[in-house]
Amino acid sequence: MDHGEETILELDRIVKKYRTKAFLFGARGQEVIALNEISIKVTRGEIFGLVGESGSGKTTAGRLIVRLEQPGEGKIYLDDHDITSLKGKASKAYSRRVQMIFQDPYQSLNPQLSIFDTISEPLIIHKIGNTKAKEDAVWQTMKSIGLSPPHDFAHRYPHQLSGGQRQRVAIARAMVLNPEFVVADEPTSMLDASMSAQIFNILLEMRKKLNVSFLFITHSLAAARYLCDRIAVIYRGNVVEVGPGDEVIENPKHPYTQALIDALPKFRYSGDKKRYQTLIRAERRVPEHAGCPFFSRCKRADPIKCSREKPPLMRLGDSHSVACFYAEPGIKTSSGDNA
Amino acid sequence: MALLEVENLTIGYQSQKGFLKAVEGVSFSLDKGRSFGFVGESGCGKTTLGMALMRLLPPNGRIEGGRIFFDGKDLLEKTDEEMRKVRWQEIAMIFQAAMNALNPVHRVIDQITEAIHTHTPSHNKDEVYEQVRALFKFVGLPEDRMRDYPHQYSGGMKQRAIIAMALACRPKLIIADEPTTALDVIVQDQILEETKSLQREFGISIIYISHDISIVADICHDIGVMYAGQLVEYGAREEVFDNPVHHYTEALLSSYPTLTGEKSQLMPIPGEAPNLINPPFGCRFSDRCTEARVSCRSNPPVWLEITPKHKVFCHQCGKHCGE
Repeated sequence: MDHGEETILELDRIVKKYRTKAFLFGARGQEVIALNEISIKVTRGEIFGLVGESGSGKTTAGRLIVRLEQPGEGKIYLDDHDITSLKGKASKAYSRRVQMIFQDPYQSLNPQLSIFDTISEPLIIHKIGNTKAKEDAVWQTMKSIGLSPPHDFAHRYPHQLSGGQRQRVAIARAMVLNPEFVVADEPTSMLDASMSAQIFNILLEMRKKLNVSFLFITHSLAAARYLCDRIAVIYRGNVVEVGPGDEVIENPKHPYTQALIDALPKFRYSGDKKRYQTLIRAERRVPEHAGCPFFSRCKRADPIKCSREKPPLMRLGDSHSVACFYAEPGIKTSSGDNA
Repeated sequence: MALLEVENLTIGYQSQKGFLKAVEGVSFSLDKGRSFGFVGESGCGKTTLGMALMRLLPPNGRIEGGRIFFDGKDLLEKTDEEMRKVRWQEIAMIFQAAMNALNPVHRVIDQITEAIHTHTPSHNKDEVYEQVRALFKFVGLPEDRMRDYPHQYSGGMKQRAIIAMALACRPKLIIADEPTTALDVIVQDQILEETKSLQREFGISIIYISHDISIVADICHDIGVMYAGQLVEYGAREEVFDNPVHHYTEALLSSYPTLTGEKSQLMPIPGEAPNLINPPFGCRFSDRCTEARVSCRSNPPVWLEITPKHKVFCHQCGKHCGE
C-alpha cells in the first residue's frame, strides 16, 4: 500500500450485546452477542472491507463507529483518541470527521427536503460558512459525485430521482463536510449493477482526490475485491480472517471464507467450482458461547479442541491473519459428504 | 415441440400519466426440461413478463397483444376458471421474497397438504402425507420440522418450503422470480443446486428471472437479456455471455465486479433507461450506447441472427453476422 501505515481508526476488542425483548412477568429476554471482541485497524486513505452475511454484526460495527450505538466493552480510537465516551461539543466535532452512507436511499433521505436542502443541512448543523460559502460547497460536492449540472437537481425532491441518483445525494450529504472517515453500509445493495458500478467508482475517486478512508460494509466478496485494499470476513460477530483483498479471495484460509467462495455462483470462471468443501451437511449442536463460532458447520473442526476453545486471530503472513487452529495450506480436505 | 411458446407478447399498465408498455414484442420458446433465464435491470419488464405468463397481472395491467402457447394451447384464450387449473398444477411460480407468502397461523405441513389436496382431491390422507414427506426430503428440510410454524423457520428454510409447495403438484413449468435475492450466499447456493436437480430428476422446465447475471449463468441453458421492455439479445448461455453482441449486454457484463481474473475498471452505463410511456421510436438503448449512429435513433432495430442459437435486436451488429 502506498498510503503509509498511519492508523486512522481502530476498534479494540469491541463487544456489543443486545437483549431481546423481555417476555411477560419480568422474565429477561435472551442475550444476543452482535459483536464478540472484534478488533480492526484501518489505515489512513484505505478502503477497508467488512464482509459478512446478514446477522453477522457488520452493520452494528458501522453504527458503533458513527456513534449511533455504544459498545458494551472495548474502545474505538480515531487518530489515537478514544471516542467511546465523547460528549457535547467533542461529540459534535467527531461527527463532522466521521460520516455514514446508509444502505437504503429510499429511506435515508427526507422526502420533504429538496436535494439542495438535503445536502446543505449538515453545513447548517455544524455552522460552516456563510450562505454563499454553503452554496458553493453544495455545488462543488454535487459536481464531484456526478449530479451535474447541479442546478438541474438542486430543487428537485427525492421522489423525482432514481435509486442511483438518490444514493449519490446520500453520498454528497456525507461528503459535503469533508470527513476523514466514511462508513459505507452496503451502499449499492438496492441498486442495479450499472448504478452500483457508478457508486463504486465515485468512492474510489473520493479516496483518490480527498484521501478519505472508508469502511465498506458489504455481503459481496466480488464488490469488496473490486473496491477494498484489505478485507475482514466477519462471522456471527467474530472476525475470522483479515488480509489484502486479493489474497483473502484468491487464497482464503478460514473454512468459512472458503465456504463463501465455494457458494458464489462462478461467472466467467473456468476453474474447479467447489474447491474447498468445508461445510458439513447437518449442523452440529454447539455448546453456548464457547469454542469456535464456525464449529457447528465446519468439516475441518476437531470435535474437542474447536468446541471448547475459541481460536484467536493468528498471523499467517505479513498481513494475512486467520482465526482457525487448522488453517494450514491444505486446501482440500478429504472427500466425503458435500454440503 | 416446445413446452412454452411466446409470440410477440405486449403487456402494459394503465397509469396516471398514460399507458405504459412494460413489455413489448417479446417472443421466445422453451423446451421441456430446459431453463430460460431473463436478466435485466429493475424496470425492464422481467417480472411483468413472469406474471403475465401466469395471467396474474394487477388490475391496471393488461396483455395488449401476442400469444402464449403452453403445451399447445393458447393460455390467453382460457377462461379464468380454466386458468386456475393451469396454475400450480401445470405452472407454478416462486415469487420474490416468497418466504413471506407462508401463512403464519398454519403449520407448514398443513399448508403444503392443502396445496396438494385442492388440486388432487382424489388422494387419501396417507398418500398425501407420504407425498409431503418426500417433498421435504427432496428440498432438504428435516422431517422433524414438518409440524413447525413458519416463524420457527429461517429465511432459507421458508424458501425451501415454498419450493416444496411449488413442486407439490408436479408442474411442468416453474417460473422463479428472484427466488434467492433475500438469502445469504451459502443458502442461495444450496437452493440453486436444488433447482438444478429438480430439472434433472423431474424434467421440469424453468423460467428464471433475476437481475444477477452470475446466477442466471449458473443455472440456465438459454438467456434472454431485457432492456426497457424489450428482449434485446437471446440465445444459448455460452454464446450470449462469451460472445455478447448487443452493446447493452456488453455494458451490463462489464459493470459486474468478478471474483477472479483481471481486476479491470468497472464500466458503469451512463444515463438512465427511457420512459416507457413514450419510448423512443428507434433503438431504446441508443441514448446510452457508445456506438449509436443517427440511423439507430430514427429506425427501430431488427432481429439479426448471429448463429442459429443466438439472436440480437440491433442495427449495427451486421459485422458479427459475417464472421
